[in-house]
Amino acid sequence: MEPGHTITLAAVGSHLLVGLSRAMILFIVSSGLSFVLGVLRVPNVAHGSLYMIGAFSAYAVFTSIGGGSTGFWLALALAPLVVAAVSFVAERSLFCRLYEREHLMLLLFTFALMLILDDLVKIIWGAEYRSIMAPDYFKGSVTIFGSSFPKYNLFLLAAGPVVAVGLWLFTNKTKIGKIARAAAVDREMVGAVGINVSWIFAFAFVLGCFLAGLGGALMAPTVSITLGMDHDIIIEAFLIVTIGGLGNMWGAMVGSLIFGITQSFGVLLWPQFAIVFPYAAVVVVLLARPTGLLKSVW
Amino acid sequence: MFSKNRKKSRSVVWGCLILGGFLLLSLLSFPPQAQARNIKVGIIDCYSGPPAVYAKDALNGFKLALKDINKKGVLGKKIVFTTRDTKFKVDIALNMAKELVMREDVDILVGTINSGASLAVSEAVAKKEKVPFIVWIAKSERITGEKGHRYVFSTGENTAMAGKAGAVALSKKPYVRYWIAGDDYEYGHAIANAAWRNLKKLKPDVEVIGKSWWKPGEPDLIPYLTSIMAAKPDAVIFCTGGRSMTNIMKAIKATNMAKKVPIWIHTATDHAVLKPLGKEAPEGVMGTMDYHFYYPDTPSNRSFVKAFKAAYGSPPGFPAFHGYITAKFIAEAFEKAGKLNKEKFIDAMEGLKIEGPTGTIEMRACDHQAVLPMFLGVTKYSPKYGVVISSNIVTLRGDQVMPSCEEIMKERRK
Repeated sequence: MEPGHTITLAAVGSHLLVGLSRAMILFIVSSGLSFVLGVLRVPNVAHGSLYMIGAFSAYAVFTSIGGGSTGFWLALALAPLVVAAVSFVAERSLFCRLYEREHLMLLLFTFALMLILDDLVKIIWGAEYRSIMAPDYFKGSVTIFGSSFPKYNLFLLAAGPVVAVGLWLFTNKTKIGKIARAAAVDREMVGAVGINVSWIFAFAFVLGCFLAGLGGALMAPTVSITLGMDHDIIIEAFLIVTIGGLGNMWGAMVGSLIFGITQSFGVLLWPQFAIVFPYAAVVVVLLARPTGLLKSVW
Repeated sequence: MFSKNRKKSRSVVWGCLILGGFLLLSLLSFPPQAQARNIKVGIIDCYSGPPAVYAKDALNGFKLALKDINKKGVLGKKIVFTTRDTKFKVDIALNMAKELVMREDVDILVGTINSGASLAVSEAVAKKEKVPFIVWIAKSERITGEKGHRYVFSTGENTAMAGKAGAVALSKKPYVRYWIAGDDYEYGHAIANAAWRNLKKLKPDVEVIGKSWWKPGEPDLIPYLTSIMAAKPDAVIFCTGGRSMTNIMKAIKATNMAKKVPIWIHTATDHAVLKPLGKEAPEGVMGTMDYHFYYPDTPSNRSFVKAFKAAYGSPPGFPAFHGYITAKFIAEAFEKAGKLNKEKFIDAMEGLKIEGPTGTIEMRACDHQAVLPMFLGVTKYSPKYGVVISSNIVTLRGDQVMPSCEEIMKERRK
């Protein structure tokens, strides 16, 4: 098979950029999943649905404001909060009763939750395709390395590191973040020193889901907002978390970069079979390091 | 299903049962108590998930036509229908189709949006049980082509027609070096094959310089478009459907691709694709459709659109058009047959001509495929509708875009 076209340095550069911008979304979503996995030990299959609710909420906010730049920023600010609220209710009413159960039970439970949330989305927003628009200054494209690169993807490139730094500051510099990290490593010990683990868990869960919502809201202007978008992301997010090391925030970053960049370079190298590349990368990583690249907290 | 939920929360179980009962009641539309036996149509389609938009649109078109038809009656009877949700799954579609035939004793089966499900029902239920099955949204050319038989019909355009329409359009342009890209599933490949097969025939010097296939619904198409643009093809054929349509249109807009390379996508001019995008839809993309609510601007189309809008609040999409003509075909075929008999119905359907919103539509006798014209247009913003629509429309007659009867028979003999 001939490659897509002659691979120039410029093409490599532009595909690297494109891959990086995809990796940023993947990181934001999978870091949330990883956080929940790490602290709560819950494999939250409904994480993708929360991502979808984030996108739909962004749509709801955007259209009720009447669009435009304000609409976009408000959607970006409020949609993750909506998701956080949904997850808070779910955590306090359901999850908090189930932490001691075995993983299979939790898996089944989150799967059920996913089905329920998907149906809720269908009841509230219906099955039509929806779409929101980025503000004018993010529209169109700029020429980088001789090919057009959407301005919105530049914004995503900036958003990823901001979220990463924010998360790092939070987990390393704030008391509650430190406790959450400690709970991830040894939750009995955290309980033993007199900290209310239940509320730490609630907080960690809500934060993880907030990130899913943020990812959905950030992704909303570039895709069709519709049922089924949750399935696109959840499998990728789980793979990323697995190759990065379960529950490890930086693992999620590394995994996302691997996933996003192999996908993008796959397109460059062999566009007919580009789908295979990220999954092949996952296989290679897992064969070499079955517990993931970075230290797993499990 | 519920019986295993014993003990604990009995009230929840009861609640679920009652709710389930209501749901069942609302799903089954009860035929009015008729004096004689009514004409029963069993509809299987996907009423959950993203494809539900199209399925509901088709059903609305069907219901709208029935309103008029049942005022007069057909053979002194009414046409009644019952629907089943296939959940876009082949096995469920099969079970539902069998159930409708065995238990509900339907005279005609109608459905579905899923090509795989349509093919399966056509083969395992329609052909086996000798029940006419009319496919109204699924676009696989194999339904009335290679896998066609006496008991299956199609009232929608198919990939062979769409691909040929695209090929006819592109063959008139000076492009030689093509890139083909799309969703890696049956629909994507079928469109690609049909377009390329016909284009090569019409203009032998064309060549494919590259192909990209992505998973259906792929959210990030930018890397694909970037590499295609870098290869500088003369034109691109995108073979996308469903929610990939919005994604590809957004990606085209974001990368400004339509200004750099000519692009043809079969359903780029579909209102269901363009409407949610608003002003964000790219202009200058070539597309083909077999129905627009704003074209052709004839009295019959206008009155269909007006009635549809009044009944359902939004203009009809192409599935509504298919649903509408399906009902008319059923009614007129039974009138022509003179009695409620499946074999007579099929004989009557063959070669039957009805008056649809876009003019006279014939059910081709040789392959049971409705002869539909294709409208070729270019996306352009319309201040009148406030969205991007198809402009500079060229109509390709049904016989120009359909494979000939000989070609179909050759396919079937394979």
